[in-house]
Amino acid sequence: MTVSRAPSGHHGAVARRKFRKTNTDRCVADLVAAIGADRVRADGASRLLASTDASIFVGGHAGPVCFPESTAQVQACVRVAAAHRRPVVARGAGSGLTGGAAPLGSAVVVSTTRMNQILEVDVDNRVAWVEPGVINLDLSNHLEDLGLHFAPDPSSQQVCTIGGNVANNSGGPHCLAYGVTSAHVLAIEVVLSDGEVVMLGGLDAEPGGYDLRGAFVGSEGMLGIATRVAVRLTRNPRSIRTLLLSFGDVESAAETVGAVIASGLVPAAIEMMDKRCVAAVEDFVHAGYPRDAEAVLLVEVDGLPGGVELQAQRVEEIANRFGADVRVASDPEERALWWKGRKSAFGAIARIKPDYYLHDTVVPRSKLVEVLRSIYEIIDRHGLLVLNVFHAGDGNLHPIIAYDSREPGVSEKVREAGREIIEVSLAAGGVLSGEHGIGVEKRDFMPLMFSDSDLDHQARLRAAFDELCVMNPGKVLPSPHSCSDIASLNDAGEDLWG
Amino acid sequence: MDLGLGRAELDACVTCALCLPHCPTYRVTGFDTHSPRGRIALMRAVQDQGAPLTTEIVESFDTCVQCRGCETACPSGVPFGRLMESTRERMVEAGYKPPVRIRAALRVLDHHKALQAGSSVLSLAQRLHLTPSSLSVPKRLPLRRPAMQKSGDDVHLFTGCVMDAWQRDVHVAVKQVIETCGFGVAPTGPGTACCGALHSHAGLGDAARTQARQVIAALDDDRPVLVDSAGCGAAMKDYGRLVGSSEAVAFSERVFDVHEWAADHIDGLPSVEPLDLRVAVQDPCHLRHVQKSHMSVRTVLTPFVRELVELDDDGLCCGAGGAYSVLQPELASSIRDRKTAAITNVSPDLVVSANPGCSLHLQQAGHEVLHPMELVARALRGVQAD
Ligand SMILES: Cc1cc2nc3c(=O)[nH]c(=O)nc-3n(C[C@H](O)[C@H](O)[C@H](O)COP(=O)(O)OP(=O)(O)OC[C@H]3O[C@@H](n4cnc5c(N)ncnc54)[C@H](O)[C@@H]3O)c2cc1C
Ligand code: SF4
Ligand code: SF4
Repeated sequence: MTVSRAPSGHHGAVARRKFRKTNTDRCVADLVAAIGADRVRADGASRLLASTDASIFVGGHAGPVCFPESTAQVQACVRVAAAHRRPVVARGAGSGLTGGAAPLGSAVVVSTTRMNQILEVDVDNRVAWVEPGVINLDLSNHLEDLGLHFAPDPSSQQVCTIGGNVANNSGGPHCLAYGVTSAHVLAIEVVLSDGEVVMLGGLDAEPGGYDLRGAFVGSEGMLGIATRVAVRLTRNPRSIRTLLLSFGDVESAAETVGAVIASGLVPAAIEMMDKRCVAAVEDFVHAGYPRDAEAVLLVEVDGLPGGVELQAQRVEEIANRFGADVRVASDPEERALWWKGRKSAFGAIARIKPDYYLHDTVVPRSKLVEVLRSIYEIIDRHGLLVLNVFHAGDGNLHPIIAYDSREPGVSEKVREAGREIIEVSLAAGGVLSGEHGIGVEKRDFMPLMFSDSDLDHQARLRAAFDELCVMNPGKVLPSPHSCSDIASLNDAGEDLWG
Repeated sequence: MDLGLGRAELDACVTCALCLPHCPTYRVTGFDTHSPRGRIALMRAVQDQGAPLTTEIVESFDTCVQCRGCETACPSGVPFGRLMESTRERMVEAGYKPPVRIRAALRVLDHHKALQAGSSVLSLAQRLHLTPSSLSVPKRLPLRRPAMQKSGDDVHLFTGCVMDAWQRDVHVAVKQVIETCGFGVAPTGPGTACCGALHSHAGLGDAARTQARQVIAALDDDRPVLVDSAGCGAAMKDYGRLVGSSEAVAFSERVFDVHEWAADHIDGLPSVEPLDLRVAVQDPCHLRHVQKSHMSVRTVLTPFVRELVELDDDGLCCGAGGAYSVLQPELASSIRDRKTAAITNVSPDLVVSANPGCSLHLQQAGHEVLHPMELVARALRGVQAD
């Protein structure tokens, strides 16, 4: 290691860097001693990549990146980090949309990609024990022959990990009928900030005491690192019907959603895409989505064959009342293609503009039409472009603002529009995040939703698990409610390429 | 450092991560540096943010198999293959050359005659460390073989370099099938030594362009050019972009993977007793992710075998990757372990692969691998077992 590249005349900076480097070197040496050289990557490239996730947040600064393969190795990493007073940040696939896995304060990053074993499948009790780095879709594929699956199906399910799902309490299209991740997690083995291992929850129907498992699900890596998870498995539906409804205007689509739910039907999924979104995904999947419709709904009903037939008919009748054009997937291939289109929506946005920023607010279904109208109005006023694709059945909006960050002034407008979208959603009785979490990206919006006292209570819960505030500090809770000094965490840390 | 990457092509990546599980090197290492998204971010860092080409960044680029599984998976249409080829070309220009033995071996590929002589085949094999002990080169290594006879002028059959020297049996089978469809076949022979695919993967762009121009000049007519090696076919379909002339564009449009062509002429084949085999289809990446004509293998093969089975790995690369298995032996073999697991899962009688590199790589792990056309030819000859 050398500091010879530092410009002369900056002795203070050089001295500081020298100190940091030796400090880092010792931390890396201890990590290597603890878990082996081939499981620690401390180079600039590895750290640069571990500093980001799938969001637009760019302020992350990763320290050494560790790839443990067991609970004991995770413990070792956490202990070394503690000894060197480094924060610790767990990282799954890095598909998060709020900077949750983007470390602040040159943290030791604990990547779970090598803890990817499905440990045990108990078919009778419909429970599987998995390591946190198991990819969501790999788990369901593995279970297919047994007629089972893991119900939460985020659109990122081909890449996101169970650990990430647990940390963000992720949802997905089919969570309308089946519930989000917290309904499918029974027990979690967790490494706490001091290296202790605890088991939260249990396989019993009603484990005694407080539901700490429930507190951990959705804690965004701030209470500890999940190292094993017992997940509930869901039986594959015997029969499925998938309908594609196209509408001449967005309002009719939104009203159809309300009418379907009001009729007492509980479809497995109701997803909506507007015209621009359809155009972007159709360019990728060529699934036959109608490009001329102003909005489409993808509705799926499942269950026993006879019942499914009836439900599909009911949906069709309701849709017809709102002037929809209705198509039913003719075979499993067509259904798969329709879903592939829906699930690629975020990625396909780059076909329109190179950057996107999205929100994840949830609004009461009865307010869908009204809030959507306001969103289009906000976007028009700022001269921006929005694509809407969302879990309509839950009222969980995902307005995606597509933009080009190189156009002068546009990033500010995007942020301002984003803020206004949150405000109209909250004013309509909604909440800040349906499933993507808060991370760092939505952190400073928390006071719009929670009072000071709410935030302090959340901070106290966090401190009960992690007194020293080393687990993923600077996330979710804004200053001054956060136990860390967020400003100091934003310090760039050492140079990546020095 | 300028990597020659287009702004729009780089910007197309919105870092969504959907490509990660489709990348063989990410799958086996779990490293972001070994993922498509990571590699693109590092290209950006080098080209736009002044990052130096550190050992780890070079490693990140070098470990890419160039299978382009990420391209198929990417909803936003990032042209990853192009990005990586350009990156490698600029790295070579900047002095990051592929190892000497690889460059020497690639020079042998340029000379078809030398390659035909048995001694050269062996020396090539040794240089590439593809000696029979380390990589089961076909047992009956053809030291000298009679040239294939031309049977007509309807189509060219591109005979290539490595493939012609080692897998003449495949060309013979392909020729038989095309003839049975009622077409006369002109094997391309010496004028078209090598398609240049390995050169362009290694960043030797000029050498690749020279090869491409030679091939185009040697086949200067308007007949279809059929290719039975997926890697060569993919490269030749890309001559238009590589060379950039209208002549090259027109040439690329005449290039067909042999299965693609046969699927269109399948009515010309007689119906015969299918071979009593359960056959697993391994899709070469350059057929599935680049040419996107892997389905035609199934169309062509279905009538001729008892059962075709699919692997459950979603077309993940086998790790062969041209010279990759020589350059990155450890990664290549970990990647192959996943493929082996997928093959074992479906317990086939044998595996078919439409690319010689994949066949050799899988044979080395003990799998029995044939070219799909060898099975079709066998069924047409009415021979159940060879
Ligand atoms: C195209 C696309 C579509 C998406 N669709 C959906 C969707 O439909 N629904 C949805 O809910 N989300 C969606 N997401 C967001 C994201 O995929 C989910 O939040 C996912 O659960 C994140 O998983 P991950 O493995 O990538 O976690 P990461 O991004 O790596 O991490 C996310 C958070 O989890 C923490 N974490 C990770 N592993 C552990 C662990 N073992 N223990 C403790 N904390 C841990 C991290 O510290 C971080 O705070 C989408 C994202 C993309 C890019
Ligand atoms: S899928 Fe495409 S857009 Fe998404 S991270 Fe990979 S290359 Fe980038
Ligand atoms: S070409 Fe293959 S190995 Fe290279 S990044 Fe893409 S998927 Fe990975």
